[in-house]
Order: sequence, then structure tokens, then C-alpha cells
Amino acid sequence: MDNQANLETAQARIAEAPDPAALAALERELLGKDGLLGQQLSAIPSLPPAERGPAGRAANELKTALTAGLQARATELAQADLARDRAGVGFDATLPPPQVERGSLHPITHVTRKLVEVFTSMGYHILDGPEVELDWYNFEALNISADHPARDSQDTFYCDEKGSLVLRTHTSPVQVRAMERLTPPFRLVCPGKVFRQESTDATHEHTFHQMEGLVVGKDISVGHLVGTMKTLLRGIFGRDIDVRLRPGHFPFVEPGFELDARCVFCSDGCRVCKGTRWIELLPCGLVHPKVLQAAGIDPDEWSGFAFGLGLSRLVMLSHGIDDVRHLLGGDLRFLEQFSC
Amino acid sequence: MLISMRWLGRHVDLTGIDPEQLALDLTLSTAEVEGVERFAPYLSDVVVGHVTERIKHPDADKLGICQVDVGTGEPLQIVCGAPNVAAGQRVAVATVGTVLPGDFKIKKSKIRGVPSVGMICSERELGLSDEHDGIWVLPGEPTVGAPVAEAIGIDDWVLEIDNKSLTHRPDLWGHRGIAREVAAILQRPLLPLETSMPELGSEDPVSVRVESPACSRYIGLSIDGVGQGKTPDWMRALLLATDQRPIDLLVDLSNFVMGDLGQPNHTFDRDQLSSEGIVVREARDGETLVTLDEVQRNLQPSDLLICSGGEGVALAGIMGGENSKVKEGTARLLLEVACFEPVPVRRTSSRLGLRTDSSARFEKHLDPTLPLQAAGHFARLLRELQPDVSFPAQLVDVGDWSDPACEIPLNPDQVRRSLGADISDEVMTTLLTSIDFGVQSQDGGLMVRVPSNRATKDIGIEMDLVEEIGRLYRYGNIPEQHLVGALVPPPVDHRRELTESCRDLLAGGARFHETMSYSFQSDSLHQMLGLDGDPYVSVINPVAEGSARIRRTVLPSLLTLLEPNRRQREEVRLFEIGKGYRPEEANDRGEPKEVHELGLVLCQSKSDNPSFEQGALARLMAVVKDLLGALQFPDLQFVPCEEPSVPWVHPVRRVELVVGASGKQAGTTIGFVAELDPGLAGPLGIDGELASDTAAACVSLDLLLEQEPSGTSFVPLPRYPGFKIDVAIVAPDEVPARDLAHAIEKAGKGNARDLVVFDLFRGEQLGADRRSLAYHLVLQNDKKTLTDKDAQSFLRRLERGLGELGAELRS
Repeated sequence: MDNQANLETAQARIAEAPDPAALAALERELLGKDGLLGQQLSAIPSLPPAERGPAGRAANELKTALTAGLQARATELAQADLARDRAGVGFDATLPPPQVERGSLHPITHVTRKLVEVFTSMGYHILDGPEVELDWYNFEALNISADHPARDSQDTFYCDEKGSLVLRTHTSPVQVRAMERLTPPFRLVCPGKVFRQESTDATHEHTFHQMEGLVVGKDISVGHLVGTMKTLLRGIFGRDIDVRLRPGHFPFVEPGFELDARCVFCSDGCRVCKGTRWIELLPCGLVHPKVLQAAGIDPDEWSGFAFGLGLSRLVMLSHGIDDVRHLLGGDLRFLEQFSC
Repeated sequence: MLISMRWLGRHVDLTGIDPEQLALDLTLSTAEVEGVERFAPYLSDVVVGHVTERIKHPDADKLGICQVDVGTGEPLQIVCGAPNVAAGQRVAVATVGTVLPGDFKIKKSKIRGVPSVGMICSERELGLSDEHDGIWVLPGEPTVGAPVAEAIGIDDWVLEIDNKSLTHRPDLWGHRGIAREVAAILQRPLLPLETSMPELGSEDPVSVRVESPACSRYIGLSIDGVGQGKTPDWMRALLLATDQRPIDLLVDLSNFVMGDLGQPNHTFDRDQLSSEGIVVREARDGETLVTLDEVQRNLQPSDLLICSGGEGVALAGIMGGENSKVKEGTARLLLEVACFEPVPVRRTSSRLGLRTDSSARFEKHLDPTLPLQAAGHFARLLRELQPDVSFPAQLVDVGDWSDPACEIPLNPDQVRRSLGADISDEVMTTLLTSIDFGVQSQDGGLMVRVPSNRATKDIGIEMDLVEEIGRLYRYGNIPEQHLVGALVPPPVDHRRELTESCRDLLAGGARFHETMSYSFQSDSLHQMLGLDGDPYVSVINPVAEGSARIRRTVLPSLLTLLEPNRRQREEVRLFEIGKGYRPEEANDRGEPKEVHELGLVLCQSKSDNPSFEQGALARLMAVVKDLLGALQFPDLQFVPCEEPSVPWVHPVRRVELVVGASGKQAGTTIGFVAELDPGLAGPLGIDGELASDTAAACVSLDLLLEQEPSGTSFVPLPRYPGFKIDVAIVAPDEVPARDLAHAIEKAGKGNARDLVVFDLFRGEQLGADRRSLAYHLVLQNDKKTLTDKDAQSFLRRLERGLGELGAELRS
């Protein structure tokens, strides 16, 4: 048999091996005991001694040649494989990926966290208070006596005929509870749910969220209040926002203010600011001496400021939500729009 | 409240003042101005015309053909049906193209064949009054061709002030009060107003007896010789501008005095009063009065009544009585100007649902010195308009009142400290003086005299003066400051940490959506869920029937959200962290016990043959297990519960959540996970095409907070490799999985770790009431490498252990 011819035939078969599995089978066939090489090797012992040397060398050369051929083909196939992978046939960049569902946090939680972050960074306590509240904390201790007209405008839900238990109409009662418990100086905010007895529509809701703020210390001034509010707005909106104070009357502060913030949505009047370029943001003021007194704090020694931020309103403003009822409606199509 | 700039101009010079700027000034210093509007803008669109000729229409008796000069050269020919139009008159002409109230556009027309260009207007057509018997003949000789409003001096701007910003300011319920503020802001003088009583006769006055402290002052002025007369145009225009419909001279004058000084007043027909005069007393039970609006009012002793001859003639401070109403032709009057206490007026008017301009003012606590000024003002104006009136009797002025004007010491340093602004004593003095406060130096500080119009309610303490100075100085001029203080971190709030962690874990890894619900739960929901018998905190004035109850627990709120959300989604995953109230555990102050809860629901469309890990209950248990593990309660156990804590859960498919159990310690039940009772699917609306597999979980955050979390202690990494094996066990249904797990652990002698069930299978080949559970586990030892031999002996031991339970290894 012609060694050379055998080798050529084998090399041709190697070159035609279509895939690594076929190549492996071919390798077993060619280099195995019964294969081309095996036959040559097994024939050597029966050769005359003088021919054994050259035959052995020839077998070795055959093995080297076959191994090299197999190796080359393996590399070739691997390269072809890589080339095919790299060609990325069938990839469509515009095909949308599979949906990964996620959860969400309520927008009130988001805005509360944002504010809490700003306030804790300034050393404020975060407090909580009851939604079912004693008349004393909701009204009396806040200088709102039984016949005060403010009780009319506050549309209170009463829990008993005596009127001693109410659903809190604001988060301000937490001020009094805090002042009873804490020793000045202190700073605190209390987010929470509040209630007003009124029928609901797109802009009115009987249940909503507020955040009360209270600072008591030595010589707390209107200037501190303004500075704090500007810091707060910077925290929420990430830039400096102009504010203005104007007189506002609330029985538990003196003097009392309405704080307006420069409209963040426009520079020349829009629907949100009703063309005024100011958005009424929060009522605030210096804590009324009677309120300090009612909570056992000496108004001659200590003073403070307080503010009440409408969280529901802030959420609606910042997300452009057109109907307040979405907030407590529990509709997934609403909730899903907020991140987790 | 509406404020007319022209009206204000009677009290302070507003020359050169822009309405918008004035509105802004008032907003920043006094009260919020909500709107600025031009008064009756159409009065500036119609022009003064001079009727030069009127001839009869050839084809209509009642029509006239007028030539009207409107200052454009050629007179306009206008056909007019008014009987009172005559040559020589100055009239209001709407020329072609003008739009009148009601979107009525004037066009060229032909009336009975005669061309007519324009219209001569009646008062009604201009929205000035109901007068339409004839055209409006303009007073005086206004400039022909000029806009009517300007030409007769009734052009105006109206500021709308937010009433809520005036609740504490009784002095601002009239134009003079606002003018005082404006004068201070503009630094212009408040013009003097003469209100002294004109000359009075010497007849005996009407007797007035006040029997109730709810009337602190009552002034009665007798007026004679009141004739027919029209209210002057200037006054009618001011009333119109402030949304008061002109009616007749006396009513208009009464309203004008109220709008001018803020003092309500009332006129009686003196001939209708009994000879015994007026008695002011509390109403008797069952007494009634027909008020001027022709409604019969049922009265109570808490209502204050003005009486004459034993019967009521007016509801004090709220509305007059029909029986003593001044009618046309009444010549003899009694003017009442009184001071009624705010609280009774407010109570009566709210009870009767009768809020009037008068009651709104009395509620604010009016200045008791004001009635005398108002009576004088009324008398002088009436005399001006009707020179023939006389005041035959001396004034009655009774009641128990005192001048509230008071003095308050003011420490200027306190002002500077409170405002945070360096305002000099002199500036403070100037600002206070500008609103009629008296200021004197005293004892190194200032002594401030508060005038009576500010002292009834608003100003009583030093901080009130700080506000006056601050607002007039303008808060915008106060420099902002940062708080300065000790840097002490706030105390750790464990509940807050817990709730925030729950939120993050549930919305994050568990992919739940956070919701916030109303605290109210409906009676019908409670009935449906079998919760009707529980005690609730309830409001006595709910927004809707059957929704007065405040929730005891969060979960029922979430159950109401399943149906609407399932309509939109195949799967609903919701959680809420909220409060519940338990009135039966109220404290001695009457505060109901407040509980804090986490509620979760998982509701998915029902599938025919779900694998065990796809069921809502198993999934929700996994979520809760994962949550509590992350919160460092890895020892959470699901315990079968005999007695459910709530009636609406599945009678069998439910577990309690127990933490802190170890050895003999029973642990604490902190909540439950359960499927919904299948009977509730219909009532909750999740049946039929919305048929659902629903599980709910409740975790008491209060109880969880009382538990000690495990903390994280490091376990050294294993030094010897373990190997994974799977075992499948076939067991009768009555053998609980917990026993099988014990058998595996026992057979593993401490080496069987990370046990996880990965399949649950039933089938005919297993036999009835038998199931197959398949587990992954790892065999691993801390001291040596385990071999195949160890695995074989583990399986042998397991085989024996399972045999004792009636279970076997599945080959």
C-alpha cells in the first residue's frame, strides 16, 4: 500500500469533517488501534529487523502528519464556529426584551422619604402620631377653642357626641404631643394621614397626607423659618427656589404666614400657578406662646416655628397628577407608575 | 369679600395706583387678594349719547326715531321703544359692534322699515338693576362720546379678598378698614370721615331693654320724614361693584354703611313696633319667626331675638323679620345699630343654615365703639340724600360694654429677635402709628396702645404686635438664616426602621406594590367578612351612610381592591403598612389602642393544575418567609392554626406566623398567612371570569418590634466539600412534611444541610392519598470529606426512618 496515497486520502477526509464530533470520530478511526496508524504499527513486529526502523519512522511521520492535520481542522472548525457566533444571525435589536415585573412604593412614601432625608440631615426627629386624636391635642392645646370659627372651616370628623375624640384634621397635634415629651431645644417633623369631612372630587379628598414641622429653641426667628424652608425646597427640587411669606392666620402660630414658592413649572405663568408664578405651598409661623405654654414649655425662655406641608398636594404637583382620588384608590395602573 | 377701588378712594387717595400692584401689596402685608377684575367692563364699551331729536315712528305708536350725537360728527339714527326717551337727554348708547351682557351683539337693523344703528340702553340691559321701564337717563352732563363708566365716574376695579384670610380681622370687613391698611402701605393719609350724630330732636326715644348678655350694645335712632327717592348712581355703582344688588334707598344705604364701616345695621318700620318698644331677649322654646327671606324659623333659647310687643321682629345680628319690614311709603323708621356677641350669632346662623353678610361680621367680634359711628354715618348720609329727614328723638344707647382698647408693653429687642431683622425702634413706631396704634417710650421699651377696632380679638399679646410690625415691614425684607444648634443625632426609631425595611423588601425583591387606603371601612364589607360584631371607633358625621367605621385592621381594605385590579391584571400583589384602632382597649384618656400592621394580598387568576410552588398561598408564604428572614427573624415558623384569628380565611388552608420559638419556648404569633375562604370569591367579585387563587397575610409590626432579631453572626466557610443529592419520598398524606424533614435530618446525623423541597407529586402510580416529595440537599461535614459510602449509609438510615413513618424512598 502506498503510504503517501493513504495519507492524502486521510487528509482529504480530515479536511471534509463537518464538525468537531465528526472530527473526533475520524481521529479515533485514524489514530486508533484498527485505524491507519494502528495497522502500520501492528505490522512492524512482523517485518524483517532491517525494515523495522524505517517502518517505525514512517509510522511516526504518519502520526505527526495526521495529528497536525486533525489539529488544523479542529482550529478551522473552532474559527468557523466563532465566526458564525459573531455573525449573530437572526438578531433583531428592535425586538423588545421579555417583561421583568417589579414592585413599587407609593408616591407618598417617595416624597416622605425625600423630605425625611433632608430633615434628618439637619438633625430633625421623625415622629408619628395617632390618626384618631383627642380634641385637646387637635384643637384646644393648639389655641383653637370650642367656639373658634376655625373649627367650622376645618370640617372635623367627630368620633363621639361629646366631641372629645376626632379624626385629626392636621398633623399639628403631634407638635403638642412632642413638646410634652421632649426637652427643648429640638427639631422634628411628623408625616401622616389627616382627615376633613368633605365630599370628594378631583381636587377634594376627605383623607390626605401632611407633614408637620416644629423647631423649638432659643431665639428662633422668622429668618430661621425662611432659611429652613429654602433648604427644604432645595432638597426637594435640587435647586434654589424663591419663596415669599405673606400674612396668614392660624390660631396656633403668631405671627402666622402662608409660604408661597416660585412656580417650578413655568417662568411666565401656567395652569399650576394659575398665572401668578407663585404656588401656595405651606402655612407656617412662630409657635404661639399659648401653645408652648399648653405643652409645658416656658414661652419666655423658648420660641419656635412650625409649618405644615401638604404631602398629597406636593405629590400631585410634582407628578402632575390630575385627580387626588388616585392617591388612595389602590389602582395598580396608578401605583405601578412609581418606582420601588 | 369684594373691595371696590373707587370706594376705597373715598377713604384714601389712590391716584396713580395700579390695581394689580395694590392687590400684591395687600397680599403681602394684609390679606390674600384672590382676584382683580374690572367692574362692569361693558360700561366702558357703551358711550354717552346726546339725544338731539325724537320723532314718532310712522308705523308704530310706541316707537320713536331718535337722532343721537355720540361725538362722531354725524348723529346716529336709533329706533327706540322706551317711553321716557326725549330730546336733550344724555343716554348710554351701544353702537354697532358692541357686545352687551348675555353676549348680545349690536347690529345694524331695520325696525318696521326704519334703519337703526345702535341701541339706547336701559339699566337692566347694562346689568345695573332690574329697571327696564325706560332707558337709563344719565345724570348731569357727561361728555358726549366718552365711555359711560368714565364719563359719569363709576369706572372701577374690584379686588376679591379671600374671606379665610380675614377671619381674625373684624376691622377689615368694610372698606374703611381696608383703606386704613392701604394708607399705611402707601404711606398716604387716611382721609377723615365725619360720623358725628346730626342734630337730634327731644321726643322720647323708643324704649329698648336688653335682657341678654349676648347683646352688648344696642343703639336705636328714630328717623322721620323718609320720602321716596332713588339711590344715587355713584352709590348704586359701588354696591354693584361689590356684588350687592341695589334695591331701594333705605336698603342700599344700610348695605352701604355696612360695606363702608363693616357694621351691620337694620331698619324697622317704627309704626309696626309696639308702644313698649324693643326688647332684646333669648327666644323661647317653640317660638318661631318668619325672616325677611319668607322662611319660618324655629327658634331655641340659644337664639337671640329682637322683640316688640312680645313677638320677635328680627333674628339678632342675622336677619330681620318679615313683620317689621320697611315697606314702600314707610316714613317713620327705627335704625338699629348693635353689637351682638360672636358665639351665639355663629351658633344660631350655623344651626339655621342662614349665613348673612351681617352674621359673618358679628362672628368676627366687631368693635363695640363702631355702632355709634355707624349710626352717625347712616344719619348723615341719609340727610345728604334726603334733606327733609329729621331725627325726632334722642338716641337710645344701652347695653353693658366697655372700650376694648388696651395697652401692651413691647420690648423692641423681642421684635428684632422674633423677626430676625434689625428694625429700629423708630421704624417700629412709624409702622404701628400708621395703622392708628399709639406708641410711647416707657421703661426703656415701648408702650403700645391698641385701638378698639383691633383689640376685640386679634391683638392681645406682644407677639401680636410683632406680627403687625413684621407684616408692615414686609416679611420679604427679613434675611434668611440657618438654624444653629448642638449636633445631636435624633434617637433611633425602631418602628420607622422596620416599616421602611418592609417597604423596600416588599417593593424590591418581592415585587409587591405599596398602596395606602382610607381608614374608613364600610359596614357592608364588615358584614361580608363576618367582622360586623367587632367594636369600632366610628365617626358621627360620615361622608356617606354606612362608612363611619375606622378600621381595626388593614387587610379588609386590601380585599376591596382585588376585584377592580383583577379586571386590569392577571395578578395582583399589594401591600399596605397602616394603622388600626381598637376602642375596647382604650386608655384612661379615652384614646383607642392604635395598632400598626403590614397587610399583603396576592391574587392570581386560577389555573387548573398548579404546581405546589405556584399556588398563591405557597408564594405568599415564601414572600413572608423571605421578608422576615431579611428582617433577621430566620427562625420564622409556619404553624398550623386551629382557631383562626379572623373569620374570613380558609378553614384549613391557613398558617400562623411564629417567631422566637426554640426548645420549650413557644414563641410569639405575629400574624398569619391564609387563603381566602372560598365562599367569599363571589361576594368580593373575584369569581367567574375573574376566578382567582387568593392569599392574604397580616403581620403585626407591634408584636414584631417586641421580638429580638437574630443579628448576623459569621459562620466559618466549610473546609471540606459537600455533595448534592436529591431524594424523593413517597408518603401517605397524613404524614406532615415536617416529620419527613425530621427524618432526613435525623438520618443525616447533622450532615444533611440546605434541605429544599423542589417537587410535590401525586399520581395513580403512587396509590390513593399518597404523595411524593422531592428534596435537594447537601451532605457535608465540617471535619472530613464525606464519601460515597457515607451517602449510601445516609440513604439506608433514611430508608429505615421513613419506614417508621409509613413512608419510603422513591427509586
